[in-house]
Formats: sequence, C-alpha cells, structure tokens
Amino acid sequence: MFRFSFHAKDGKKNSYLTAGTVITILVLALILLGIVHAPYDTEAMNTSEKFAGFSLLHILGTDNFGRDVFSRVIVGAFTTLKIAAGTVAIGLLGGLVIGAAAGYFGGAADAVLMRINDTLFAFPSVLLALVIVSLFGSGTYNVIWALGIAFIPSFARMVRSEFLRYRESDFIAGARLQGAGSMRIMAVHIFPNTLPVLLSSVLIGFNNAVLAEAGLSYLGIGVQPPEPSLGRMLSEAQSYLMTAPLYAFGPGVMIILMVLGFSLLGEGVSKRVNG
Amino acid sequence: MGKTLLDVSDLNIEFHDHQAPERVVRDFDLLMEEGEIVGLVGESGSGKSMSAMAIAGLLNRHEIEKTGKILFDGTDLLHCSREKLRSYQGSDISIVFQEPMTSLDPVQKIGRQVEESLKIHHPDLSEQERQNRMLKSLSDAGLPDPAGVAREYPFELSGGMRQRVMIAAAMIDDPRLLIADEPTTALDVLIQEQIIELLRRINRERGTAVLFISHDLSLVNRLCSRVLVMHHGKVIETGRSSEVFQNPNRDYTKKLIASIPRVNLQRPRDNDRDVHPEVSPAPTGKNALSVKDLSVFYTSRGKGFFGRTQKTEVVHHVSLDVGEGEILALVGASGSGKSTLARAVAGLNPLHTGTIELPDGRPQMVFQDPYNSLNPAYTIRWLLEEPLRLAGVNDEKERKKRVDEMMELVHLDKTLGDRYPSQLSGGQRQRVCIGSALMQKPKLLIADEPVSALDVTIQVEILSLLKRLQRELGLAVLFISHDLRTVWQLCDRVAIMKDGLIVDQGDVDEIYLHSQSEYTKQLLQAACIVRREEQ
Repeated sequence: MFRFSFHAKDGKKNSYLTAGTVITILVLALILLGIVHAPYDTEAMNTSEKFAGFSLLHILGTDNFGRDVFSRVIVGAFTTLKIAAGTVAIGLLGGLVIGAAAGYFGGAADAVLMRINDTLFAFPSVLLALVIVSLFGSGTYNVIWALGIAFIPSFARMVRSEFLRYRESDFIAGARLQGAGSMRIMAVHIFPNTLPVLLSSVLIGFNNAVLAEAGLSYLGIGVQPPEPSLGRMLSEAQSYLMTAPLYAFGPGVMIILMVLGFSLLGEGVSKRVNG
Repeated sequence: MGKTLLDVSDLNIEFHDHQAPERVVRDFDLLMEEGEIVGLVGESGSGKSMSAMAIAGLLNRHEIEKTGKILFDGTDLLHCSREKLRSYQGSDISIVFQEPMTSLDPVQKIGRQVEESLKIHHPDLSEQERQNRMLKSLSDAGLPDPAGVAREYPFELSGGMRQRVMIAAAMIDDPRLLIADEPTTALDVLIQEQIIELLRRINRERGTAVLFISHDLSLVNRLCSRVLVMHHGKVIETGRSSEVFQNPNRDYTKKLIASIPRVNLQRPRDNDRDVHPEVSPAPTGKNALSVKDLSVFYTSRGKGFFGRTQKTEVVHHVSLDVGEGEILALVGASGSGKSTLARAVAGLNPLHTGTIELPDGRPQMVFQDPYNSLNPAYTIRWLLEEPLRLAGVNDEKERKKRVDEMMELVHLDKTLGDRYPSQLSGGQRQRVCIGSALMQKPKLLIADEPVSALDVTIQVEILSLLKRLQRELGLAVLFISHDLRTVWQLCDRVAIMKDGLIVDQGDVDEIYLHSQSEYTKQLLQAACIVRREEQ
C-alpha cells in the first residue's frame, strides 16, 4: 500500500515529491488567501490606475480596467482549481465505473465499452469539450461537465488495465471461492490495490484539467467575465502584450506554478509507487 | 591432487545501497581443481548465488564492495583490469542461470546467441567456422536438430531445450569452469534428470570443472564430489559430498538433510513419514469429491478483430474420487493439466463437461505462489476475517474470536495480525493462505503445489501443518504436486497425470511398489526412488 514519505522505495531522497509538495502548498496558500481576504476587490475598476507596473500597492500591477492583478490571479486560481477538481472528479468517477466494468467482466462488455471509449479518445479532449460547451452553453459548471466527460476515456483506460491485471490473480480467485460477489470483489478486493496508480493519474489529470480550463477560457468559451480565471486573464493580457507586457506575467506564472507543482507531485508519487 | 583451477579466499561481499551496509557473503573460501564438480548448497538468501556471480565477475555495481581474492589460474579476478576480466568471461569461465526463459534474448535467433562469445573472443574466425562450432555445440548439448534449432527463436523451444541452448552457449568456447546457478530448478523432474546427465557428460568428456549451485541437496549429492553448505552468507560446512551427507557436523546441515523427504520402499511407509507418523483417519466410505468423465477446456481468442474464439481441450475424460478425510495426490509434469483440473473442480473454470460432485459444498483452495495469493492491500487479520464476513458472520467479536483460534491452529503469531502480506515471509504467508481457506470450514481443500515456492526447511513445516489439519479436522485434500517424494510422505492415494489424462491411479504404496505404468516408472526413477526388482 501507498504510505506517504519523502523517500523513494530504495531509501533515496525523492526530490520530485519534496519539490512538488512545496510548490503545491505555496499555490494552495495563495488560493486560500484569495478566498479569505484578497487585497483588493477583483471587480473594482479604477481607470486612473490602468496598467500600473509592479509596485508595493499592486505587486503584480493592474490590468486594462485598473483592477489589481495579484488579487485577480489568486481568486482566478481558485476558479481554475474548482474547475480542475470537478473535472477530475467526473472523469475519475465515470472512468472508474466504465473501466472497472470493462476490465472485470471482459468479453462483450469490454469490447463495447472500450470501442466507445476509443471513439471518444480519438478526439482531443479540448475539442470534445468545445463541442459540449457549444451545445450546452458556456459558464463555469458547463465547463466542468464538458471537461469532465472529455476526461473519462483516459481514466477508464487506466482503470480497466488495473482491473484486468488483478482479475486473474490468485487472491481474487480465492475470494471468489469464499463466495464474494462481483461487486464486492471489484469494490473491496480490487479497488484498494489500484489506489496508488489512481493517485498519480489523478494528479496528472488535474494538471491537464488546469491547462484545458485555461485553454477554453482563453478561447472565450470557458469562464465568463467579470469572474476571474487564469486562462481568461491570459487571453485578455494577450491583447495588450505589446503595450503592457507585464499584465501576462501574473496569470502566466500562476499557471506554471500550479502545473509544475502537480506534475512534480504526480511524478514523485509514481516514483514512490513504482520504485 | 589435480592442478588448482580456482582459489577463492576471504571473499566478502557487502551491499551499500541501503542506509546500513549489508554483508551478504562473509569469509568465503573455495578451492577447486581442474575437472572437479563442486556443489554450493543453501537456501534463498544464503549468499550462494552472490558468491558465484562474484566469481564470474558479474557483480560490478559500485554499491557492491568486494574484498578478498579470486584467483583463477593464478590471476586475481577481483583486482585485475576490466579488459583482463572480460577476456576470461564467456571464454574460460561461463555461467548458466536458473531461468532459461529470461536468460535468452527473445528477439534474437538461437544460433546468433550461441555463437556470441566466439564473436567476442575469436573475431578472426570465419563465418563458416563459427557456424560449424555453433552447430557442434548445440548437438553436443543434446539438441536433436541443431541446424533447425539455430534458426528458431527462444519462445519456440521448451524449457528443457532452452536450458540446453544455454549450456551450448556456455560451452562453445570450451571453458575450464562452468558455473551452473540452479540450472534445473525451473524444470520438470524428467527434464531435470536429463540436464544433470548432460552436465555430468560435459565434465567427463571435456574435463570442464563445474560449480553447481542448488538448494536441492539430493541433486548435489548425486552430481558433485565435494560440497559447500552456506547459511546466512557463511560457508558452515564443507567436505566430500558422501561424508557431509552421511555425517553432517552442523545442526543446520542436519536440518537441511532431514528436510529431504525420505523414501524407502523396503520398509513400511510410516517409517518415512516423519512429516507426521500418525495414519489418516479411518475412511468413512463417503466421497468428498467425485469427478466423472471430466473434460476441461480453455478458450483462446482467434487472430484479428472478428477472430472466433477457439476451445482447446486440456483435460480429457478424467474420473477420480477423493474420500472423506483422505489426501489424494495429483502428480504430473507442468502442462499435464493437473492445475487446470483442480481449478475446474474448485469452480474457477466453468468450461467443462462431465460431472463434479461435491456433497459437502464448495471446496477451498491454497495456491502455489504465496506472494500472489494474498491481497496486498489488507492486513492479515482483515484477510482472515473476510471469509467470515462473506459467510455472513456479522458479529465482530465472534469474527475476532474465530480468527484468533485459526491463527493458533495454523501456528501464526498473534502479533502478525496487524501486518501486511508484504511484511511476512513465504512460509508465514502460506500459513495465512491455509488459515484463510479453512475459515469457512470446508470439507475439501485443494492445494495446488503449496510448497514448491518455498525453501526446503519451510516446506517440511507447511507439509506437517497440512497433515495435522487433515487429521484434526478430518479434512479431505486434493494435493497437486510434481514431487513424488513429498507425495510418499503425505498422501494416501495418488493419481498420475500426463497430457491431460490420468495414466495411473491407486494407493501410494501400491503405485510406488508395483505400478506397471511406464510413465510412473520413469517419474519414480527421476526422483531416485528405486524398487527392489530394479536394484
């Protein structure tokens, strides 16, 4: 079983896990600050302070409406985090149900589910989300659903291979002989063994979700203004890249930090699991 | 006295890749003469393979610290240059490993792999000469169609043939020392015998010295003139094989020798059954299992997306009975269908025809590999409680009480309850497996090679546990094995399987003493069980 430790299996220091944890904690602390008390109102405009540079009053400057970029970045990061978490939750749940059924029962169920899965998998997830958003409209919750559904196939694939691996093992045969039904075997006997692999793919999925949300919002179909989101801010900053290049710095660095933190964490966890 | 070939003195091997350095071999001394066969015996973790790898110059990771001397023909292999060492490897010193499956490159043809060391050590040889020597080496290793085999890939050969290929590759440059690291452990008894005979012939005809590493003392006794017994990284006893076997000095050696199941057909069987001398409970006349005309199939998917599934018959029209409280052995080589039959009886393979009658309900099963038969995600106590939960015992106190009783019955320390399977030894795990199988109080236990993955001294413990449980609980056991010596000690009746058929069946005494089946005779011979009329 997975036990948390900053050391890899061979006893060497797991620097991925350490760095990932430090960065992620930093990001989460900033987001928490945004929730509890952002320095400025994220929607308060001040036309006299448009595109102010970095200063002690506005540490990441202000945007085209004179709003404080730092406040908008830490609040926007929370929006992004919510969307990413919702996306991963939907993708994971859907993937678990489909992958477990396909992997455990095999045969026709496997063939049908996996072919549907492959078809979905063939579209890039952002493109799939685009289709869903254009059908159901934009907005934070629709983006969560759109991305969540688009993320199901990759989780399903991973869960299926894990269930397939354990299905034939002796301890499952033993449980079956003792009278365990299919649901119990899947939920109690196989599922806990997939946790280490699930954990690292959740972290990787989280990453992709952050990037996908930023992408969708950048395209203008994700989070709607004036609600701040990192992708949205980046897309707005692009219009002023020549005149006010510093605007892009804040949201850009925040996305980098979030993705870097989670991917290092994911890398660290998989190193810990696989040795 | 012949000429000294190998002189190892004060060899110490220490691993430094963990926090605390771990010494796996201590003060190892070995003197080998030209053309001598020396046995190196010990259980897993005793350091025997490490010593051999060091002699072959294969322990070169820098976390491994080696001190001492390994003089091969006067050159110190531990302290010479890499180039010098390489000039010996594969040429004067060759090694054959345990697992013929993984020690051959799966994507290279046999011929290329066998001639590899000639390419390295004799680059001046012509293609034709190399080819000739390669074919000769294959035929010397007893492969019937060398030219054909040379063109094949490893997966096209059987385990025994692959091991012959390994030996051919090791022998191609006429080494003076052949290190054989458990070369027969992964093979069936009949094949095992052939490989031993091949090693003996190589030694006799070419004068190659052989360092034979094994955990099987009876094998070492038959093949080697001298033997070294290793325990916890130290050589604890050494001498002529016959002397060590007849008068072992050390307790550990005595224990090892005692763990070889004794088979003496000249006296009543109970004398040999120190596993547990008590006889089985009197037969009740009722059957715990009766199988009639059973055929078992496997399906394999055809090629391509729309490939039709194909049914292959693995077990053909087999009939057998297991009486209540009786131990029936099902013996056969790997691939004979014995495990397939067992899984069908347990209800794990629904693809069968014929009848399986189980008057006392579902049987339980103990599997071969204790490392794969316990769910790694749960503690031992949880694993033992699960069968009760599944049987509808909802009272937590009741479950705890019954688990405690079971742990006592199978001699598991109570403190192990909170551990995970990965924290247990192989023998402890197998006790948990047996305990878990017995929680629902089945009347029939199917044990599929329950000891073959364990060290010999542990095997004895597990077998005596099985025997005791059978007696105390009146349990019927279908005991699947390839080891006729174990069967002699443990079982009441025996059925012998070959190619999906039962070729011989009867009381153990009857079969061992009087069976007329050719195949049974071959198996007995391979296990070195000799009848009076044949002596």
